[in-house]
Amino acid sequence: MSPEPKQTPLFQRHRQLGANFSVFGGYRMPLWYRSGAKTEHLAVICRAGLFDTSHMAALRVSGPEALGLLQQCCTRDLERCFGRDKRPLMPGGTAYGAYLNESGGVIDDTLIYQLAHQDYLSVVNAGQGALVSDHLRTAAGNSRLDVTDLTDQMGKLDLQGPASVAILIKTLENPGNVLEGLSFFSFKVDPELFPGSQTRVRLGENIPLMLSRSGYTGEMGFELFVRPQDLTTAWDYLLAAGQKEELISCGLAARDSLRTGAGLPLSHQDIGDWPFIHHPWHIALPFSPDGTGFTKQFIGSRALLDPDRHFYTCAFVGYDLRKITVSETAPPQVLDSAGKSVGIVLTCVTDMAIGRDSGGRVYSVRSPGKPQGFEPRGLCCGFLRLDRPPETGELVSLNDGRRKVKAELTRDIRPDRSAGWDINRIIEEFS
Amino acid sequence: MRPVDELILPDDVGYTENHEWARKDGSAMVAGITDYAQEELGDIVYVELPEIGQSFEKGAEFGTVESVKAVAELYMPVAGEIAGTNPELENRPDLVNEDPYGRGWLVMIRPADPGEMQSLMDKATYYNLLKGL
Repeated sequence: MSPEPKQTPLFQRHRQLGANFSVFGGYRMPLWYRSGAKTEHLAVICRAGLFDTSHMAALRVSGPEALGLLQQCCTRDLERCFGRDKRPLMPGGTAYGAYLNESGGVIDDTLIYQLAHQDYLSVVNAGQGALVSDHLRTAAGNSRLDVTDLTDQMGKLDLQGPASVAILIKTLENPGNVLEGLSFFSFKVDPELFPGSQTRVRLGENIPLMLSRSGYTGEMGFELFVRPQDLTTAWDYLLAAGQKEELISCGLAARDSLRTGAGLPLSHQDIGDWPFIHHPWHIALPFSPDGTGFTKQFIGSRALLDPDRHFYTCAFVGYDLRKITVSETAPPQVLDSAGKSVGIVLTCVTDMAIGRDSGGRVYSVRSPGKPQGFEPRGLCCGFLRLDRPPETGELVSLNDGRRKVKAELTRDIRPDRSAGWDINRIIEEFS
Repeated sequence: MRPVDELILPDDVGYTENHEWARKDGSAMVAGITDYAQEELGDIVYVELPEIGQSFEKGAEFGTVESVKAVAELYMPVAGEIAGTNPELENRPDLVNEDPYGRGWLVMIRPADPGEMQSLMDKATYYNLLKGL
């Protein structure tokens, strides 16, 4: 029998807000609230949504050989990863990567936040903290470093959506200072949470924060790390302050459809125990400039460069909102135009914010050039794992045994996402 | 999820184990999914209904309701022929969430055996089934 699911400190709040719960990563988490997943999905694209992400696990890796360990274990080359010109990760910078086993299969994916020289925070998926810390400790051997599981000492909220900037301007103690220069994939932390820091980062009534310009929705947004005892106050404060911006609480269903539309993988579903290569997340791998090798060696790298048992992961987008059912025991098949099975479906959801025009082009509700009167009903979308390389634009059929759905292989799903936009552009558009 | 005590369970319908309901309407029956079912599924974004005139056995699959979370099959509460389908659902599938026993009805059935209505659960029995879930 599986153990009783854990709860985050916000569980009672979720109940009061009418959440419909489901167990995810060992935690009982809100799937959606009273407004429903569709409204929540659209809120994050058009306005703002607030997610409880305290179930995620956090590991601190620190000590003189911390960078060496992460270079050995993480697929990302932390000495060549930041910005377009591939600078080394620096304190205040964040990088996405994955931890692999020797066969190149994914143990978990991670966002690494560099706190200081030889001091990192690695956030991994809910329930994966113990597994990943064991992996890191084993790899570390006698190296001079510590791996500390901070999961239960960390509360985390994701404030996502273009209006999140306006809400932070109202709720941060010194918004000008904090948001200045806070580019995509960078963060600032209050000295009370991390003594080495210089900037005060406080929310409302003196809640110290680590504020990171990241999230997993594809839209402009922030992750707010707080102490667990401050979590409920921060949640209530943000929801109250964001009323004018129509900020609403959002659950895991919207998070799943948002991340899929944004082309982001779910660990243990879209990436898993098969070689982590030939997928849309090439940014997570340290390819050398000519693309034939890697700029560093890491656990699993040899297997990734051996072409024998490779699969090819790619995104797809359908022609209406109808989904097929993805079951792990009998994965739906991908059929090519000749009706031959060429792979399986990993994720299939509906992104309710997108639709096609009469010519078949995909627009989102926020696309600047969308057709007049465009009211999308949503398109099914997700990820496929093929036995051979995909061709962008190729049409396939997805079959779960009950229903067949036509889909187009694509490089990207929901167009015109706001995640990487300049903060000033957002402020202009939303003031 | 609302507690079972807060779910709407009308007295004038019969219930199935698959969370469908059926109500007598003259010699025909109107059927839909229960408040519990719509709440479990979440936002309903698409409803697939059969052609009028098709016949199904009791318990046979006659269509699907699709929510943001899942695709759920619909099963006939009684054997019979489809005499009508709700035309509003094509553009307003959310009516199933909003008003599951009213404007969110799914199909009208001409029952093969009018007496089969008696085989459905009454409100108290269905309530106890939900309590046990």
